Amino acid sequence: MTTPGAEPRSPVVALVLGWVLPGAGHAYGGRWGKAALFFLCITGLVVAGLVVSGGTVLLYKVPEQGTGVTSGSHLRLWYAAQFCAGGPALALTPVSQYIASRGPIDWADPLHEMGTLYTAVAGFLNLLVMMDAYTRLAFPQPPEDEEEDG
Amino acid sequence: MWQAVTSLLAHLVSADNPLWLYYPLCLVVAVVYKATKFDEPKAIARAALHFFVSVTLGMLALAVVFYLIARFL
Repeated sequence: MTTPGAEPRSPVVALVLGWVLPGAGHAYGGRWGKAALFFLCITGLVVAGLVVSGGTVLLYKVPEQGTGVTSGSHLRLWYAAQFCAGGPALALTPVSQYIASRGPIDWADPLHEMGTLYTAVAGFLNLLVMMDAYTRLAFPQPPEDEEEDG
Repeated sequence: MWQAVTSLLAHLVSADNPLWLYYPLCLVVAVVYKATKFDEPKAIARAALHFFVSVTLGMLALAVVFYLIARFL
């Protein structure tokens, strides 16, 4: 929310901040409540995905001890989605890569698949949140389908 | 047919089914998506709950249909 006379904020900065830390774009725009909600949801989803899968889903290359069941291009496609979750995904990638290098991975394990899905969906959600932060600053009017509450 | 449907539902609610992880995922998607649409916390909660229930029931209906097709055709 912008107050009258406040310094105008850059939508591009909101977009970039939103990638660096999920929700930071909304915090930059003064929407602290939404920023906290988005940070908790998206970062929580990334962490939950890692925990569920045993820490082996944020991979940009096949680990040396990989079973060969999956290909590098397959992994990179998932990682492209996970990468959109920004800072948390980027920070946890070396951890995940290290854990994956320590032993074989059961690529067909449903929990591994669910963890991959969690982290990829976190990336897509962060894209949506980044676009929302950008749009609210670039075109500052209330959404058309806003409900009057109370 | 009802026996097939009840066996599917029993499988879906069994404790060792990894599909339980679908619910938190769907809930987070609903909350984040609706939070980009609405500003008031009450409106977000109401719309997210509606979204969550609609998607879950829709997925359940699809699961039943596909299960019956796979079982009887």
